[in-house]
Amino acid sequence: MKYKDYYATLGVDRNASEDDIKKAYRKLARKYHPDVSKEANAEEKFKEMAEAYETLKDPEKRAAYDQLGRHSSGQEFQPPPGWAPQFGDGPSGFEDIDLADLLAGLAGGRRRGAGPRGNVPIPGSDYETAVTVGFDQAFHGGEIELDLQVVEHDANGFARRVPKNVKVRIPPGVTDGQKLRVPGKGGKGINGGRDGDLYLDIAVREHPLYRVSGRDVYIDLSLAPWEAVLGTEVEMPTPAGKVKLKVAPGTRAGHKLRLAGRGLAQRNEKPGDLYAIVQILVPTVVSDEERALYKKLAEASSFEPRAHFTVEERP
Amino acid sequence: MRAEVAEALPVEQGFDVTLSELAQLSGLDENELRELVDYGVFERLDSSAPTWRFGAQYVVLARKASRLQHDFELDAHSVAVLLGFVERIDALQREVVDLRAQVSTIRR
Repeated sequence: MKYKDYYATLGVDRNASEDDIKKAYRKLARKYHPDVSKEANAEEKFKEMAEAYETLKDPEKRAAYDQLGRHSSGQEFQPPPGWAPQFGDGPSGFEDIDLADLLAGLAGGRRRGAGPRGNVPIPGSDYETAVTVGFDQAFHGGEIELDLQVVEHDANGFARRVPKNVKVRIPPGVTDGQKLRVPGKGGKGINGGRDGDLYLDIAVREHPLYRVSGRDVYIDLSLAPWEAVLGTEVEMPTPAGKVKLKVAPGTRAGHKLRLAGRGLAQRNEKPGDLYAIVQILVPTVVSDEERALYKKLAEASSFEPRAHFTVEERP
Repeated sequence: MRAEVAEALPVEQGFDVTLSELAQLSGLDENELRELVDYGVFERLDSSAPTWRFGAQYVVLARKASRLQHDFELDAHSVAVLLGFVERIDALQREVVDLRAQVSTIRR
């Protein structure tokens, strides 16, 4: 079993008072709680401090933890002789047991004596995990494989963390921040209790071309000045494949050309649209011939690009 | 043999839940949930029906409420206030992401 230094995690002395421990936890929770924090690795950091607080706030668990002595974080160690039996029927070995699960067994042990467990159906736990998918996978849907660490109880009721591999089909059209539910893929129910569900918090990686707003997808369409003035037909990528797009003469920068139904499409829902945002790019290097043609155009044109400067404020 | 592939469903789809199911799925107890309904955090599907039922989208919100209550050691009213702010920040962040998506990234 690997040692975890809960005092160091919360940044308190080993002789800290309950009040000091609570204050330290609350300060860190405000900073790292994943529901209110945008810090990097907030979830991972919060799990560590919540685990430390669960033990140190409970005098009985804290006393048991203190009996384990001092070790370095991550160091393999064996609890002292006689340590486990005080929790009821101690586990047969400590090798693959997580310290937090063992200490959590303290509360479990107390509950075991207090209430009916016998054949009462107990539903399995729901699990929640963050999943990052690529834009293409979000658009088209697809299979992903998840390697989870889940808690299972042995015959003595002691919790052990075991690896669990789950294959999941992501539906097409998922969006960043969306929650998905995988029924029955959480913890196993006991005594006929239903299996828990697995919840997925979806994050979609940024794509070099496409940007997503709700179910609509945006792409930049750059045009040369003469293409914008004269109109043109361009071949443009879309998430579902290339399309030919007609650009009308006189198209301005900032125009949004809409391709209906080519955005994200969720099952049984109206699909979003694809918008090509027109940008007019000018060449930074021009040949002598091009320069001459631009000069000729400047002399011939009556176009006034700054006409709006002449508009006066209403009284 | 090919391993079974489970279907992931949008949480809004497929089911609605009773008060006791919402309690079981979230870890909050029924009294806490009733209090959060009073504070307007959750809305019943039919406020005149004798059995309280909720849309499935509230399962995720209730789980969040449960985490906030447990992790910050809050009462139901504080959870309701905090959830209001968290949801508002989430909505504003979504709006920022949406607006950014509509702005060209090409440097002219």
